[in-house]
Amino acid sequence: MIEFKNVSKTYSTGTEAVNNANFKIDKGEFVFLVGSSGSGKSTLIKLILKEEEPTKGNIIINGKDTTFLKQNRIPYLRRSMGVVFQDFRLLPDRTVYDNVAFAMYIVKATPRHIRRQVPMLLSLVGLSGKAKVYPDELSGGEQQRVALARALVNNPSMIIADEPTGNLDPDTAWEIMTLLNEINMRGTTVVVATHAKDIVDKMNKRVIEIKSGNIVRDEKGGYSSEV
Amino acid sequence: MKFNVIGYLISEGFKNVMKNKKSTFSCLGVMCATMLMFGIFFAIAQNINHIVKIVESEQGMQVFVDVNMPEEQIVQVEETLRNIQVNGTNAINKIRRVSKQEAYDTVKEQLKDHPDAMEAVEVEMFKVSFVINLTDLSYTHDVVSQAEQIDGVVKVTNSENTITTLMSLANGIKMFTLVILTVLIIVSLFIISNTIKLSVHARRKEISIMKYVGATNNFIRAPFAVEGIVIGIASGVISILIICLGYNALANKFLSSSIAQKIQTISLLSFGEMVNLIIIVYILLGVGIGIIGSAISMRKYLDV
Ligand SMILES: Nc1ncnc2c1ncn2[C@@H]1O[C@H](COP(=O)(O)OP(=O)(O)OP(=O)(O)O)[C@@H](O)[C@H]1O
Ligand SMILES: [Mg+2]
Repeated sequence: MIEFKNVSKTYSTGTEAVNNANFKIDKGEFVFLVGSSGSGKSTLIKLILKEEEPTKGNIIINGKDTTFLKQNRIPYLRRSMGVVFQDFRLLPDRTVYDNVAFAMYIVKATPRHIRRQVPMLLSLVGLSGKAKVYPDELSGGEQQRVALARALVNNPSMIIADEPTGNLDPDTAWEIMTLLNEINMRGTTVVVATHAKDIVDKMNKRVIEIKSGNIVRDEKGGYSSEV
Repeated sequence: MKFNVIGYLISEGFKNVMKNKKSTFSCLGVMCATMLMFGIFFAIAQNINHIVKIVESEQGMQVFVDVNMPEEQIVQVEETLRNIQVNGTNAINKIRRVSKQEAYDTVKEQLKDHPDAMEAVEVEMFKVSFVINLTDLSYTHDVVSQAEQIDGVVKVTNSENTITTLMSLANGIKMFTLVILTVLIIVSLFIISNTIKLSVHARRKEISIMKYVGATNNFIRAPFAVEGIVIGIASGVISILIICLGYNALANKFLSSSIAQKIQTISLLSFGEMVNLIIIVYILLGVGIGIIGSAISMRKYLDV
């Protein structure tokens, strides 16, 4: 599903953000990406999204090497993944419903499909009653649920989340992670970059740890190897 | 399905237009100025061409013969004139004799407000003349010199000078229009691309989300192209209205003015005779500037 082969990324500033990364994430897996600030987690995620190009190595997504993917094919690659960020990235001038429907307009879905799909996802993330509300009338946790609904609405095969709970209190963060876990149970691959030590420990999933651009650990378990 | 998507993109484009009212308005202003400028000079040039045609057909050429020429010789001169050839082809389309009486009457008519001026004038003092209509205006020069060679011909007048003056005036106006138009089109492009830039800036968050969700480049660009085209067409429509009202008012004023009254043969084109061309040019200008302007700013500011 996602495979990194000897991938390195050096920014034009000279920063070596990722150094010779090798890993494979299979369909249906749940993977945490951990590491201290500046270790290269976001860079790794940007490489998956093809927002950044690797300086070296190959990235294979859904069996296709994206290294030489044409610029105009990138949108279609991105349709196979739902993305969630720390800052939610909702459109403030649109209702919850429209924020989710927006993602469907973009892939040119039929109005009928949109009318069926959007309420279904709002119900999945537990926001059925808030369809007509604007983002600034929602709590942080609720906003992140909307973002999740938007990420999922086009049935992507994977969800890529960069610190999805970074702006949330521990209880709300736990709720969002649980939701991601439920989504994973339904068959969607989930990759989450996070600093939330307690949650990572509690969920006991596969953890890829990165330190100054190097992958130093890749195993099932807690946030760090030492207990 | 397709209709739904197109409708969505167009409505997003209109939203852009409405959101940036200030820059939309300044953009409309400059584009209307461009189009009006074009319209004014186009109308002037068209009318000069029109007047040239009238002068060509109505004034023609006039050949005067000696005052004392006997009738037999006049007939001979008429025959010689009728058979003038240039490069082996007949140069004369029509020839009409103006008798002494007719010449006298014309002058009398022109001086009817001053009857005493005619007292000393007699019919016999006028020269017989021929009004000549050429098959092709480019023969004018040759025909004049041939006519002057004919025995008994004392004077040849023609409107060549008037026509060349008008033609060079029309050409000058055309050149001037072209220069002004080029400058204004460049200014319009700059202004409209700046408007689109502001619009892209206002929607940058939305654009970045669109990219993450997998919107194609064309899908992201379409609303901005629509914005450019809408502004372009709106300028076209406004300019058409202003030009139409302005032209009709000015044309009437000109026709009722004393100068136009003196030159009775002069008429102006009606707006309807020019409107088709102006509309086509305005639509092309509007849509063209709109598309190119938004393309410029998207290339610069919409890194997708
Ligand atoms: N666009 C960029 N240009 C240059 N250097 C960058 C760029 N983005 C990130 N970096 C550098 O690359 C390194 C890794 O950054 P990255 O954002 O991947 O870290 P991170 O693990 O996500 O950190 P955090 O946990 O704080 O989000 C850092 O040293 C950062 O300064
Ligand atoms: Mg980061």
